[in-house]
Amino acid sequence: MKTFAGRLIMGGIASVLLQVAQAGAWTLEEAAKPYSGATVRVVGEALPPLEALAKLAPQFEQATGIDVEVEMYEHSEAVNKVQLDLNSRRGRYDVIIQPHRELGKFATNGHLLDLAGFMNDAALRDPTFKPEEQLYEKPWKEISWYDGKMYGFPFTVLNLFMWYRTDLLSDPKEMEGFKAKYGYDLAPAQNWDQYRDIAEWFYRPDQGLYGTALQAKRHEALWYEWLNFLYSFGGDVLDVKSGSECGPVIVNSPQAVAALDYYKSLLAYSPPDSLNYFWDDVMALMQQGKVAELIMWNDATYAVAVDETASTVVGKVGFDITPQGEGGKVGQIEGWSYLVPTYSKNQQAAFLFMQWMMGYDRQLEQHLNGGATGRPDVYAAAEVQKLPYSNASMAAHEAGRPKATLPQSSEMTDILVRELSSSLTGEKSSKAALDTAATEISKLLGSCAPMSYPAL
Amino acid sequence: MDRPASRPWVAFAWAVLAVAVVVALTPYLWIVLASFKNRVDLFASIPKWTFTPTLANYPAVFIGKDYWPLAINSLVISTSSTALCIAIGAPAAYVFARMDFPGKEDLFFFFLTTRMAPPISIAVPLFLFFTALGLIDTIYAVVIAHTSFNLSLVVWMMRGFFADIPREIDEAAVMDGRSRLGAFLFIVVPLAAPGLAATAVLCFILSWNEFLYAFILVAFEGRPLTVGIPGLVTPHGTLWGQVAAVAIVATLPIVVFTFIVQRQLVRGLTFGAVKG
Amino acid sequence: MTASTRGTLLLDRGVGPLLVLPATLLVVVFLVGPFYYMMYTALTDLSFADASRNGNFVGLDNFRKLMRDDPLFWDSFLLTLRFVVLAVSIEFVLGFALAFLIFRFVARQRLLTTLLLIPMMIAPVAVGLIWRLLLQGDFGMVTYYMRKVGLLSQNAAVLSSPDLVFPAIVAIDVWQWTPFVTLVMLAGLMSLPRSPIEAAMMDGAGPVRVFLDVMLPLLKPIIALVLLLRGIDAFKEFDKVFIMTGGGPGTLTELVSIYAYRVNFRNWDLGYGAAVAFMVYLVVLILCSIFYKAIYWSANRPAPLGGHG
Repeated sequence: MKTFAGRLIMGGIASVLLQVAQAGAWTLEEAAKPYSGATVRVVGEALPPLEALAKLAPQFEQATGIDVEVEMYEHSEAVNKVQLDLNSRRGRYDVIIQPHRELGKFATNGHLLDLAGFMNDAALRDPTFKPEEQLYEKPWKEISWYDGKMYGFPFTVLNLFMWYRTDLLSDPKEMEGFKAKYGYDLAPAQNWDQYRDIAEWFYRPDQGLYGTALQAKRHEALWYEWLNFLYSFGGDVLDVKSGSECGPVIVNSPQAVAALDYYKSLLAYSPPDSLNYFWDDVMALMQQGKVAELIMWNDATYAVAVDETASTVVGKVGFDITPQGEGGKVGQIEGWSYLVPTYSKNQQAAFLFMQWMMGYDRQLEQHLNGGATGRPDVYAAAEVQKLPYSNASMAAHEAGRPKATLPQSSEMTDILVRELSSSLTGEKSSKAALDTAATEISKLLGSCAPMSYPAL
Repeated sequence: MDRPASRPWVAFAWAVLAVAVVVALTPYLWIVLASFKNRVDLFASIPKWTFTPTLANYPAVFIGKDYWPLAINSLVISTSSTALCIAIGAPAAYVFARMDFPGKEDLFFFFLTTRMAPPISIAVPLFLFFTALGLIDTIYAVVIAHTSFNLSLVVWMMRGFFADIPREIDEAAVMDGRSRLGAFLFIVVPLAAPGLAATAVLCFILSWNEFLYAFILVAFEGRPLTVGIPGLVTPHGTLWGQVAAVAIVATLPIVVFTFIVQRQLVRGLTFGAVKG
Repeated sequence: MTASTRGTLLLDRGVGPLLVLPATLLVVVFLVGPFYYMMYTALTDLSFADASRNGNFVGLDNFRKLMRDDPLFWDSFLLTLRFVVLAVSIEFVLGFALAFLIFRFVARQRLLTTLLLIPMMIAPVAVGLIWRLLLQGDFGMVTYYMRKVGLLSQNAAVLSSPDLVFPAIVAIDVWQWTPFVTLVMLAGLMSLPRSPIEAAMMDGAGPVRVFLDVMLPLLKPIIALVLLLRGIDAFKEFDKVFIMTGGGPGTLTELVSIYAYRVNFRNWDLGYGAAVAFMVYLVVLILCSIFYKAIYWSANRPAPLGGHG
């Protein structure tokens, strides 16, 4: 009988040997042995990629003996449920899949496990798992890292880009009429003036066709959508390099005001109920073929461009990165991350599951079922390249701009959405609304966030 | 008021009631139809009253998305909290209706005040409290929460119904050799049955339809239908057919339940006759 | 017969009031407890978002901010008052009228009443979604017919229109809760003693006089009850409106409950959120107390819901 210390030394030597000599010999089955019988509880938003995860999980369970339980809630329910769990410190969840604006709040409150330890643990880390090479680095660092620490891996890497109806834009009669009126050829918009011209041209509500469809409800959707205009017009909310930095408030800059004025001008070519529409409504309109062009999510593309049971415009939709503005052709970095709470009692098992899910095969499977992978090699796969939106999505990833992941970011969002919405009803001018938003955001963030453009 | 109503009045009354029924029911009927529509029919610009029905929505959500246990959860939560509410609330209401003790009216008003605080403010403390008790994530937590919330309703409604029963009736029963408790259980409660049924129905509905506490206090496995409904509204397009299917299943038991107790609700409410 | 003997002992020796104990205890432990916790939280800076604010005592700072520095709260508060007054008064008039018609003219009420009750049985979460679908600007059934009959212009939609959105949420509340008033008032009407009514009719009083002089005073306690319960619940209205409009467009439908939700569940600013909630509670409490006392005095009897026996 070996002594405990002896076993420990032997084990240590063995693992060192393994590391040095047999790096390739790491297997999930071996790594998972100590955690067999554990249950990993995963919580996230009820969407196709999570459904795909739930379908894949039994493979993991079989290989490891680790049980995976998946809980699916609506977007804000998923966030609230997790927030309460974390604050009660009871550790019900082992893997939380959360949108990236929550990151700062969780990280600064000590709710999240820094994964560096596990990444350096040869017993846990699959040597073939090299996130720094295998993932879109910028989005990953924005959505899963905070203040230089790695807390997780991307569950979905999201962005918005332009969707347009190829059948309408290439219709010879439309092309002729369009050219006669605007003096240039009808084609997918390259800049915002063209975008508005196209919206105006196709705005025929009596025929059930709208030029565009804005997601202008008082809802996060409005914030997400408007940021594309803001960034493209050369504006931003804070004057910073990354989401975890605090800095001067510039959301009422002339560029921002121009972006809001422009956005407002599109309301004229958008459905009458746009002030109450969010992603759900514009998706339905798009699927019914009632919209010529809009700015929409990459992970919703599947349901409009591929899924014939849901969409009447399969094969008639083209995709491109958002039009050019003063700020260039840009996107925004958004995504949900796999994170591990500090209070989880199955952290190693949770890590193994996340690592396994990040593998190529699982990512491909998830992506093809309506997911939005964070792996460029999955985007490069032949099946994925066949999807009409892959290039637009990849381009948008490259052009992605960060947004705040500070602890106060959800409150900042709430302020902005309220003011944007007030301005869209005509209650306030763009300038007045953004001034109010800037003042409140500056007050919220404190001394690190002075106002670059003092409100009048 | 027993003199026969004149004809135009009857016609007018029925016309008004007919309009009321149409207004009350059309939205519901529309959802019933929606639950049998496919996506194309759901989104037709001109409302479709006739269409080729599909049965796909129900299995898609209840089996495909595994929502059927949610219906069971709803049933367990609402039934338990209603039973508890009546068992605890009705005797209290009887005491308020019949007996005097110092501070009675203040205590009575206090029950009402428990309904006044916005649930959102109590939700977080209640969550932490149930966590400390170890009851969090169990159905007990939400049953207790719903019971405490609906108690004020029971106490307030039932006091009125008990008070409507003349005191002489229980006094006569006591004279006949029954105890006060016996008089309450065997004489007063049956007389108050219609009111009791109406109160129970309300408790059941309030618990069945409640969202916030159910969402916060119960674990995923125990979540009722209300908590499951928002999960069908997604950035990938809301599954309106499935939302409708869940909404129908979520209302059906209550409609049936009310229909059953309706007999007591309406026919039995004849305190006047007893009063003689 | 031991049970009933024991019952006799307990109840007849004046221990009867103890029967209110279980109810009181439950309410005290599970509602008043958390409520006190909330009141305490209102005196702290507790936030789930900001790590530096972990519940330090700040005295009345939150209330100072609320009173002096939060126009959004007061706007939403006044909006809520308007909502409650409008919705509850319309519900009461319609609900009472329907109850009276049913009471007077319908012999077999069972089916009719059940049908009328359906709106209030649907979960508020579902009601919100149903009305979102019905009022949706492009596929909404109600939108379509409103446009068809000219109630709504082609390029307008109810929930996007600054003029229509508030009346719409009032109307939907009326749609949902008028049946509650009908149910309770019908029960009240059915339980009215016949003798005073018959006596008045013998004296030759017309139906209007009988209604005003005899029935209405007798119904006062029930009316008070209905108004109180509806008023309180309308004040707390949240799910339907939140799902339909999210408080928007702008802040046109931001009821105080929605505002409180944002502070507590979006910003996780629990200290301030508790102050907001407490303020709401306080105002409802004061309004209810005034109302309750008024009924109590005018009814001129010790128990406001005291029966007719």
